[in-house]
Amino acid sequence: MSSLSADGFDVPDGIGPLASGTSVLLTGDDADALESVFARVVAPADGERSVVLTTEHRGRAVQRTLNGERRGAGDRAAVMAAEGAASGDDITAIDDLADLTGLGMAFSSLVAEAQQETERFRTGIYLCSTVASEIDDTRSLYRFLNSNFLTELRRGNGIGVCAIDTSADIGADVESTVTGLKTSFKTHIDVDATDRRNAELAVDGPDGERTLDVAL
Amino acid sequence: MARSVLCVDTEERIDEVAAAVEADESLTARTATTVEEARETLDAEPIVCVVTAYELPDGTGLEIVGAIRDIAPQTPCVLFTDVPPAEIDTASFEESIVEYLNRDLPDAHDRLAFVANDVIDYSAQASFIRPDDEDERLETLAQYDVEDLPIEDSFERLTDLIASHFDAAVAFIGLIEEEEENFLACHGGDLDTLTRENTICTHSMLQEDVMVVEDIMQDARFAENEQLQNLGIRSYAGANMTASNGQVIGQVCLLDHVPRSYDAEEQAELEDFADTAMEILELRQTVRDAERTEVAQ
Repeated sequence: MSSLSADGFDVPDGIGPLASGTSVLLTGDDADALESVFARVVAPADGERSVVLTTEHRGRAVQRTLNGERRGAGDRAAVMAAEGAASGDDITAIDDLADLTGLGMAFSSLVAEAQQETERFRTGIYLCSTVASEIDDTRSLYRFLNSNFLTELRRGNGIGVCAIDTSADIGADVESTVTGLKTSFKTHIDVDATDRRNAELAVDGPDGERTLDVAL
Repeated sequence: MARSVLCVDTEERIDEVAAAVEADESLTARTATTVEEARETLDAEPIVCVVTAYELPDGTGLEIVGAIRDIAPQTPCVLFTDVPPAEIDTASFEESIVEYLNRDLPDAHDRLAFVANDVIDYSAQASFIRPDDEDERLETLAQYDVEDLPIEDSFERLTDLIASHFDAAVAFIGLIEEEEENFLACHGGDLDTLTRENTICTHSMLQEDVMVVEDIMQDARFAENEQLQNLGIRSYAGANMTASNGQVIGQVCLLDHVPRSYDAEEQAELEDFADTAMEILELRQTVRDAERTEVAQ
């Protein structure tokens, strides 16, 4: 499989290629299916680096998942993890998910470091809904997404994916929140797990709407 | 006009930071070497962006962030420092967002002016969702000369009717501008403008259908919003004013001081009122355009 398609970022199963600057809002109510699709989008190809913020797993587990998607992808990824301890240069621990000031600075710093190695990068937040559930005021999450997530994509040569578990309690109407967030992202992918091994993706992006059947 | 950027750093480093900012001709550096001095400058001058170090003689860069929050909350801030994020004490500033730029990176000084311009141009630290086609939406809004159109009386009558129809405490018509909502008419309240991060309409305008918040105290998007609490707002319903090109330029809304729901029929009626407000605006604008054409001929 080619690591680059034209100047786009390769994503398997017909999801990509995604143009540089593409922000993907990934939604669904099945966390396993969501995670599987998330990993496909964020796994860095050769010549790319990834920065992943995970609220659910240890850093090593994320790197292994990325390796499962693309050979050596985990070694090209820096992970900020809310679970487990820091390890080496590539895994940092998140002490407090509600500290969006610290989280944002650490995230931006890692993206800047990644760009020192290669200009092509991918970023991901899994799960943004968990961050939302940890904070008191959703306005700070919007500020974080605007300042630290979407901004990096506008300025650099990268793509980003932000995952929301729509079954989570985020302290607000999830459907309404997702409808609002969709307008700030270039592409929306809704993941509907049809059974334990398969999912239907509803992709709504710059090229219009389409559906994809993918194996999980 | 040059943009004034407040640069805050120690005596030893401040000239270097100011020079990096002024490498871009559109930016003018104002300087301060202490938190106190920075606070005074923010108070006295129109500053469009702050670039600050973390370690300062009388405090930290995050105290500057606190000052910005108090004095000029819309002003973006860049923390330009060699202190790693993990060593920065964010305890009292957990929900303040700043741009972090590591000054140890090889191209950090070259990037500083670019980053400052970017956060200014894109209001990059805005705490509300901005539609991806916001520029097109603002262009649509700019086509209406709301300041010059004789719409105030019409809209006042309309909001009176809307409030009466729904037996609501407050009914208003507001246009969503770049940074704030401009209230054109309001029954039951004294609303002039509100910054977009403080309005529910900022969210409502992104929904296709009427947005109802039955109890804002139960919704994390609004429960911590002091502006809404000060206004005594407890429930909300908003419908879009949509221009002929599909862009949403404003809202027709109902507020109440108690939790409240609106059934499907009521929501459809609110949409009808929003369409009526839009038609009034369109007609007034069409008449104004025709008058101007006539005068020109």
